[in-house]
Amino acid sequence: MRNRYIENFEKKQLAQKSIPEFRAGDTVSLAVIIKEGSKTRLQNYEGVCIAIRGEGTGRTIMVRKISANGVGIERIFPIYSDSIDNIKVIRRGRVRRAKLFYLRDLAGKKARIKELRRK
Amino acid sequence: MEFIVEKIGMSRTITVPSQPVTLLKLVETKVCEVTDGKAVVAYQNGKNRNKAIEGKQKKYSLSAEFNKFMTLEVANKEPGDLDYSVLQSAKVIKTSFNTKGRGFSGVMKRWNFAGGPGGHGSRFHRLVGSIGNAEWPGRVQPGKKMPGQYGKKKVTVKNKIMSYDAENGILAVVGSVAGANGSLGRIKVEK
Repeated sequence: MRNRYIENFEKKQLAQKSIPEFRAGDTVSLAVIIKEGSKTRLQNYEGVCIAIRGEGTGRTIMVRKISANGVGIERIFPIYSDSIDNIKVIRRGRVRRAKLFYLRDLAGKKARIKELRRK
Repeated sequence: MEFIVEKIGMSRTITVPSQPVTLLKLVETKVCEVTDGKAVVAYQNGKNRNKAIEGKQKKYSLSAEFNKFMTLEVANKEPGDLDYSVLQSAKVIKTSFNTKGRGFSGVMKRWNFAGGPGGHGSRFHRLVGSIGNAEWPGRVQPGKKMPGQYGKKKVTVKNKIMSYDAENGILAVVGSVAGANGSLGRIKVEK
């Protein structure tokens, strides 16, 4: 358990944030706010969440996707950061572990994740 | 104005760029005796008690929990509870804590010496090496970096105050402060 004073301090900041619930194995899409000079725009990044780390305001997710030229890309996002506009869950995956680093060694059909069937 | 605080731990903000935050909790302090802005204060730390402490508790009519005494700069004119009102408008504080004690340490840990090669029979791994010249000056220069006690030393840093929660006595300051979580230190209001 974390210290209650630290939790209180972080709770105040996270009160307005609404992040959907997701787990490792889910396909998520994040809209990242990008500042270019005076303009700001949104850039979408979609991939499989392969790890969730940290507690409170420091919580991060690792999102893996295969880019257009077949190279794997992994980006780490602080999910409660103001630099993230929104997070959407696109697909629920059925996986048996919390960290999916084994996906790095797999490619093509082997690297697929079955969709979670809800009862 | 000075206050006794306990380091709770660190957190961060979700703003862009994110800021590191250290949370400090004000320790309950009783003012015993005031002379020219300086005061003898009592606070609670552990259960240590002896006749000298009991004598002081009797003198200042304190309860048995207040077993530590210290001299602080205070805003109070009269003995009683410490006056925390200065913190409402404070912007910058100086934070003094003892750093984590690392015991008797060698020069590589204590002074970041490079050390010698690990292999090839060099026989010089983590040693100090030469500590000076020969016949002239015939002594070691003062301040030569050598092994010894590392840490457990008072370190003072300036921190900006991010927020002050008067209800719980929680002070959030930007950046880090020395020492382990749960250790006691003192803060001084700068601005």
